[in-house]
Parts: sequence; C-alpha cells; structure tokens
Amino acid sequence: MTGDPASTTTEQRAMLQMSVADFVARGTDLARVRRLRGTSAEYERAVWKKMAGLGWLGILVPERYGGLGLGLAEMAIVARGLARALVPEPLTATAVLAATALSGAENEALKREQLPRLAAGDVLPALAWQERTAELDPAAIETRAMPFEGGFKLNGVKRFVAGAAQADAFLVSARTTGGVVLLWLPRDAAGAQLDLEPLADGRSFGTLRLDDALVPRSGVAASGGAALEALGRAFDHGCAIAGAELAGVMERALEMSLDYLRTRVQFGRPIGSFQALQHRAVDLHIHKELASAVLEEAVAALDRGPAAPARAAAASRIKARCADAAARITREAIQFHGAIGFTDEFDAGLYLKRALVLTAWLGAASWHRRRYARLSSGVRT
Amino acid sequence: MNPSSARPDYNAMSDEDFRREVRAFFEREYPPYLRYILHRARWHDMKEWWRKLYERGWIAPNWPRERGGMALDAGKMVIYLEEMERHGVARPPDQGITQVGPLIMRFGTAAQQEHYLPRTLSGEYIWCQGYSEPNAGSDLAGLQTAAVLEGEHFVVNGQKIWTSLADDATHVYLLARTRKGAKKQQGISFLLVDLKTPGITLRPIRNLAGHEEFCQVFFDDVRVPRANLVGELDDGWTVAKALLGFERLSIGSPRRPQYALNRLEAVARAKGLLDDPGFLDRFIALKLDIEDGAALYGRFVEQVKRGEPLGQDVSMLKVWTMETWQRLTDLLIEAGAEQGIVAGVHDVAGVEADFLNPFYYARPATIYGGSSEIQRNILAKYVLKLPD
Repeated sequence: MTGDPASTTTEQRAMLQMSVADFVARGTDLARVRRLRGTSAEYERAVWKKMAGLGWLGILVPERYGGLGLGLAEMAIVARGLARALVPEPLTATAVLAATALSGAENEALKREQLPRLAAGDVLPALAWQERTAELDPAAIETRAMPFEGGFKLNGVKRFVAGAAQADAFLVSARTTGGVVLLWLPRDAAGAQLDLEPLADGRSFGTLRLDDALVPRSGVAASGGAALEALGRAFDHGCAIAGAELAGVMERALEMSLDYLRTRVQFGRPIGSFQALQHRAVDLHIHKELASAVLEEAVAALDRGPAAPARAAAASRIKARCADAAARITREAIQFHGAIGFTDEFDAGLYLKRALVLTAWLGAASWHRRRYARLSSGVRT
Repeated sequence: MNPSSARPDYNAMSDEDFRREVRAFFEREYPPYLRYILHRARWHDMKEWWRKLYERGWIAPNWPRERGGMALDAGKMVIYLEEMERHGVARPPDQGITQVGPLIMRFGTAAQQEHYLPRTLSGEYIWCQGYSEPNAGSDLAGLQTAAVLEGEHFVVNGQKIWTSLADDATHVYLLARTRKGAKKQQGISFLLVDLKTPGITLRPIRNLAGHEEFCQVFFDDVRVPRANLVGELDDGWTVAKALLGFERLSIGSPRRPQYALNRLEAVARAKGLLDDPGFLDRFIALKLDIEDGAALYGRFVEQVKRGEPLGQDVSMLKVWTMETWQRLTDLLIEAGAEQGIVAGVHDVAGVEADFLNPFYYARPATIYGGSSEIQRNILAKYVLKLPD
C-alpha cells in the first residue's frame, strides 16, 4: 500500500469488494434464500454473526462505539455485493437505518450500551418510523408519547417496519406535547405487539401496535430537533443503500439474461444474435451503467456530509434511478427467458421480487423524483 | 508558424490555472452573438474567431507544439472542451484541425505535411469530409465513388452526400474505391482534393431547419494528383478508422442537453407548467436523465484523464445523451403549445424562447456520427459480447 490516502482508500475498497464476493461465493446461495422465504425467521442469526465478524455491521457506527466509522461508499459496496445473491439478512434495515438513527441520538449511555452490540451482531434493532402508506416524511407522526414516571407511555401503530422478523428492539418515533422523540423499545416490552405481513420477496414487514407501552427515561434516544435530524439522516442513508442493493440485483439479473441470450438456441441460432433482443439488452445495459454512475457519484457526495436538503436530493437521485433501472431490468429478464422465466423454480423471479420490494420500500421512484424537483427546482409538489 | 520554444507548456500548468486562462480568453474574446448557436457555424461568422485563436496559438488544441498546436494531454483537452461548451463557444468549420490534420500527421508524406498542415492551421484551407454517399450511409464501406489511377492522376467519378459546410470549404478529404472485389473495407483509398478542381459540382441541401448546411458533391472525371493519396493505396479504411472514441466522448457530452434543459425550465416556469403535476413528472424525469447522464459522462472523462484509452463502451454515452436531448426538445415543443410551432424567438412572459430550432437540431443527433442503431450494434457486439 502507498501512503497516498486516495489510493489507500481505493485499495481498501477493492479488498472489501473482494471479501464480499468471497462471502457470496461461499457463505450463501439461492437455495438458502428459497429455504428462508416465507418463514417467520426470515434470515439466519449465524450468517448475521458472520457478517458482524467481517466488520460490515459496524461500517456506519463511529469507532468510539465499537464500529469502523467508515462511510456509505463502503456500505454500498457490501450491500451491492450481497444483493447479487439476494441475501435476506436485514443489512439496510438494521445496519443502516437503525444504526444511523441511533448513531445520531443524544443519549450517550444508550449509544455506549447498544451500538457496540449492534456492530457485533448481538442486538438487532429495527427502525419503526412510518405510520401511513406512501407517507415518507419522518415528522408525520401520530404515535403519542405521554410523560410517565420520568419516561414515556406509548400509544399508536407503526407500519412497514423492515427487519422486524427477528428484531430484538425497535427505535420508535413518537410525538409528545413538546415535539418528537426517538425511543428504544425492547421487543418484549409490555404493551408492544408485533405482527408480520408477507412481502413479495419472502421477507416481511412488521406492524408494531403500541398500547400503553412503557419506555423508561434511559430509553429516550433523542428528542426534538436531534430526533428529527437522526430520522431524516437515517431515511436518506437508507434510500442510498437500498439503491446500492438495487444495483446489485439489476447487475446479476442482467448477467443472467445475457447468459441466456448467448446460449438459448431457437430457429437454429442463439437468440442473442437477433437485433431486436440485442438492442433491448443494450438499453438495459445503459440503464445499469447510469444507475451505477449515479450511485457512486451521489454516495461520494453523501459521504462529504452535506446539509439536509442536498443530502435528501442526492439520496432521492440514487433511489429514483436505481429503482427504475432495476424494475426495467428484472421485468425484461422474465421476458428474455420466456416461459421458464415465469416459473418459481427459475431464479429470475427471485430477482424481480426483490427489486419490487426495494423499489416500493422507502419511496417509489416517482416520489423521489418529486422530492428531487422540490429540492432542485424549488417546485411545490 | 511560431517556433514551439515560444509556446507555453500547457500540460505543466495546474488544471485550475489552465481552466481559468481558457475561460478568461473565451469570455473576453468570443463574440457574444455567437454563443450557444444551434446551427453549424459558417466560415464567414467564424473566421474572425479563427484568426484570434490562431494568433493566440490555440486553434489546434490537439496538435503537437512543433506543428503549431497546444499539444494538450487528454485531461487538459477535456478542460478545453468543457470550457468551450460552458461558454457556448461554437465549433468553427474545424474538420481540418480535428480530422484530416491528425491523419496527415500520422499517415501523410513529408511533402503533404509541409504543404497542408500550416495552411490548415491558418484557415487558408478549410476542409469538409467526403465519406457518405447516397447508397453508403451506416454501411459506409459500401461506398462506390471510384478513383481510377491513370498515370500520375486518379480520375474520380461519383457523388458524396451530407457533406457538412462543403460550400465553405476549399478542400475535401475523400474516401474512394480504388479497387473492386475482395472485402468491401479493402480497396478504399484516402485522397485530398482541392474543390476548385474541374469536374466538381456542389449542390447545397436544405435541411429540416431550413438551413443549407450540407451539400451533395458530384465528381465528374475529376483529376486528382497521385501525390494527394494519404496512406497506402487501397488502405484508406485504416486511415479513416484511426479517429474514433474521443469523438464519441465529446459528442456525448451533456452540456448541450443541459443548456436546453435550462431553457425548458425557464419557459415552463414562465408558463406555470411546473404547477401541472403531469408536466412536472415528465420534466423532472428528463432533468434527472440529463444529470444522471452527466455522472456517466464524468466516468469516461475520468478514464481519459487517467490516460486510459476509451473502449467501445463509450458508444452508450452518445446513445443516451442524444436520445435524451431529443426527448427534451419534444417536451419543449409541447411546452410551447401554439407558440411552439411558430418559427423564431418568442417572448414567453419575459423569457426568450426558440422552440422549433432546438427541436429540429436534435433530430439528426441520433443519425450523425454513427446512428443510435449502429451504436447499439457496437455495444451488443463488443461490450455485451452477444453473438453475430
């Protein structure tokens, strides 16, 4: 390694990419994905611990809390590589959304206690912030937190909680008379009930019903402006890394399609020799390259720590482009493969379904384009 | 020609200093009424600017210093082009500088270099390109214009078409068939022809925008000295092919669509169209298509700056940029509504807007420089490695 920081970073990222590729080649496969889909477990703790052992869960956790204190660029490499194999472990939900929210919290004791455990894979928190469908403003909160014995008593319903299946705790946003609070709620807390609804990709969303659920004072992670800032940053970082996952999904789906075009023979020739299919494949390739260029450029911008509006614009740009490109590529993958593409046995459908979930979760492309319009052109939408 | 010792070494400058110097010069010297013109600039508009660039030693950024060029490396070249685009500096009829000059340097004889290069640099010789024919467009190697060697002359018969700015030019560089049979890429030769030679007739062709920017050129027993052959006899395809890649990068630059986008946004705002959710959705998707295309462009530029050669994948940039530009001008016409189909510059609530010209000039963008279909063929074959 040289002493030049830029080339050191480049080399470290290349090594990270290799270690992810190695993990994907040896630590997981699509048979495991098929086995876990639709189960209440959703993923495997043992695999999660291995990911922790490789340092990936602590990428966004500051070093003083037991993490690596790296950036979204590194997290994007991991997410993109794992998504190629449709790894079901909740990397974005827990190691990005929850980790970013908790890292931005004010409660030092809570951070010192939980962040090292999160990075080590010993505790899996999920961020329970959303309440209504297609409402993506972290401040749109109806869940109430009433002051009670120094802590709070919670009432409300949180929806669409990713990574809930095996979550050990929830970071719950709620409204008090004085503003917004972000609270740490253990899964087994009295008054908290979790239901799962199945997603297209075999994983699930949690619905968290809060009925006088008690949170002690020690569980108040952040309040007021700090809570909202932590939630906003978590949402944007989540969008960016969901984009990285979409990039991995589309890359692998397009590779599968191209392999098929090269080898499937009809009318006495490989179907990839037909210009109609060649040009469509080229267009998909261009969309994939655009997504990749945007992802890398905007993630680098996010890692420079921009103010909230620029951060939101960069995150929306990633999510919009990656979602559109992945949707296009995974749908065309079915068409390229013909009837076999419509079978459950064939893998193209798994990629289509993961793309569906990652596209709708944290805001569809059209929502992100409108937010981008608001931020970049000052348009009211 | 200025001796090279008197010329600064631009590559030794920092990128920032070089950019500042280029920008200042363009801002100070470039005629404001020629900024961001859409049509190909004509010689009578540009000759004053040519002279300024020539006197500054800046007319040939890609030529070596001993030939009177700036000898910019790839990174500085990108900066030079970026600043041209940023300020809306039009390309003069510069095919002598960008195309035939470098080919003469690489494949020409000492006598050809000595004769043509200084005259091309000074603007005494203006070049046009004689490649396409009525029956040889995308399939260029199918060209039929014949050059038959008789003693010390080629006798040229045939016709060329879509020859940009031929009526401004003094010379044409020509691909002609010198041998029949064999593979069609073989048997083509590269010739330099003075347009005053007897037997050459020009017929200007009016384009959709109403301008006569290209010509049909007829060759009727035109006698071209054998000494005007560049490269080996029958090997002109090799000569012509030597110039690609960088052209597809500069042609795929997002600057022109970005400028068109700014105009569209100004018009849309003036007309209140951004309050229409249907229009806004389409507008913002296009805006992101352009900004995201700029990220893709940036990748290729970084590659050039690192000194790496461009691969065939640069074709995707031309496809994306040009098709996006077209879609943008489609929406511009729609935004113009009734005004959109009236020629000329309109006052739209205080914003100056020309609707038809941008629309017209975006049409051939997916045809010239290798059509979108040809670029997709290239990508399918060389990048995706799909079978023939």
